[in-house]
Amino acid sequence: MTATLGRRSAANAPETGFLARVTAWVLAVGGGIGLLAAGTLTVEKVNLLSDADYVPTCSINPILSCGSVMTTPQAAAFGIPNPLLGIAGFAVVTTLGVVLLAGVRLPRWFWLGLQAGATFGVVFVHWLIYQSLYVISALCPYCMVVWVVTIAIFLYTTLHNLRRIPASSPLARLAGLAGYHSVILVAWYVVILAAILHRFWDYWSTLL
Amino acid sequence: MTRNTRLTLAMILVVILVMLGLMTYNRSNAPSAVAGDTGEGVDPAVLVRDDSHRLSTAADGRVTLVEFLDFECESCAAAYPAVKEILATYQDRITFVVRYFPIPSHPNAELAARAAQAAANQDRFAEMYTLLFENQDAWGHQRTPQTEAFVGYARTLGLDLDRFQRDLDDPATAARVDRDKADGESAGVQGTPTFFLNGRQLTQVRTQGDLVAAIDAALAG
Repeated sequence: MTATLGRRSAANAPETGFLARVTAWVLAVGGGIGLLAAGTLTVEKVNLLSDADYVPTCSINPILSCGSVMTTPQAAAFGIPNPLLGIAGFAVVTTLGVVLLAGVRLPRWFWLGLQAGATFGVVFVHWLIYQSLYVISALCPYCMVVWVVTIAIFLYTTLHNLRRIPASSPLARLAGLAGYHSVILVAWYVVILAAILHRFWDYWSTLL
Repeated sequence: MTRNTRLTLAMILVVILVMLGLMTYNRSNAPSAVAGDTGEGVDPAVLVRDDSHRLSTAADGRVTLVEFLDFECESCAAAYPAVKEILATYQDRITFVVRYFPIPSHPNAELAARAAQAAANQDRFAEMYTLLFENQDAWGHQRTPQTEAFVGYARTLGLDLDRFQRDLDDPATAARVDRDKADGESAGVQGTPTFFLNGRQLTQVRTQGDLVAAIDAALAG
């Protein structure tokens, strides 16, 4: 093990760099925030199930519609409520972030496992964004918190793995994207923000 | 400052400026302050148009109750029996007007409003209104268009089905529904059901008793 680390020390140098620290913090804090949001959604789901008299209000306000979003089939896409997936996934991500902050160096296969999970998460979240905007036509604040942190977790995990692509690979150039990590993140959020503004423009304009 | 930081901050700045620009543009284009927020009465001409549907008409024209509703809204279906009883009790002592206010998150609300309008074109609005609410469980909250259910109600009412179908798809029908919704928005309607009694939005109405008390007060006043 020590021998391996010694041999690869040059390649691993960025581990201690600025981006590595940012990635660890994104995983720890983002995972924690995602965990809180998923936990809150689970508690609300239980309250919703236990209140048989619950009548959702019919409001054009797209952000006061947690009830209407949570009662849709999309809220349990895999047969179990989505927040339960979130609790499991975000707990793992938080733990990993804390482990990284503690200075532990994780093997490559471990990062690839995280990449697989984060990729599943980010694809799922974009399907939910699409459903929320164009099919359900309602927003749910806690769900949007999950969108924000999942995108950040996916981006920083991906950039970490891209930087470890061997220089001989044609994909190695992609590692340069890491230098623009926050530009990519903000641009990503801006696209989603624009979609939300555009979709609910009629409503937002009544507020002004 | 790294290039990444500079670009990120520049992008955030641009987004803030664009949002401010949109807000200013929108504000200068806004017709006027939304009534209803101010607690003042709303222009009666906006609340009741000549072509608005009346389920009852007051002989003396003193008390007018307007409901903005969405046929797919559970709260509107919950209010429906109360409204029905009020109509039976007061009959020609109040004018009761129904305005369309379909909410986008209800997949069949707009289509249901068009079905009601297509029935109205054959002078059977009240009957379609009743059928839509009494059968909301059957057609509401379905992801697919419930055209067949609505045509079925038209058949039950003995309407001219060819004309009903044609009116259902006619852009003029959709425009008629949109005009109601636009009037609702300019009157400050944010959700359904929203009631206006003699031009004032009833914001504290929770039960049938509240509604009856408000009507009685208007009749006495």
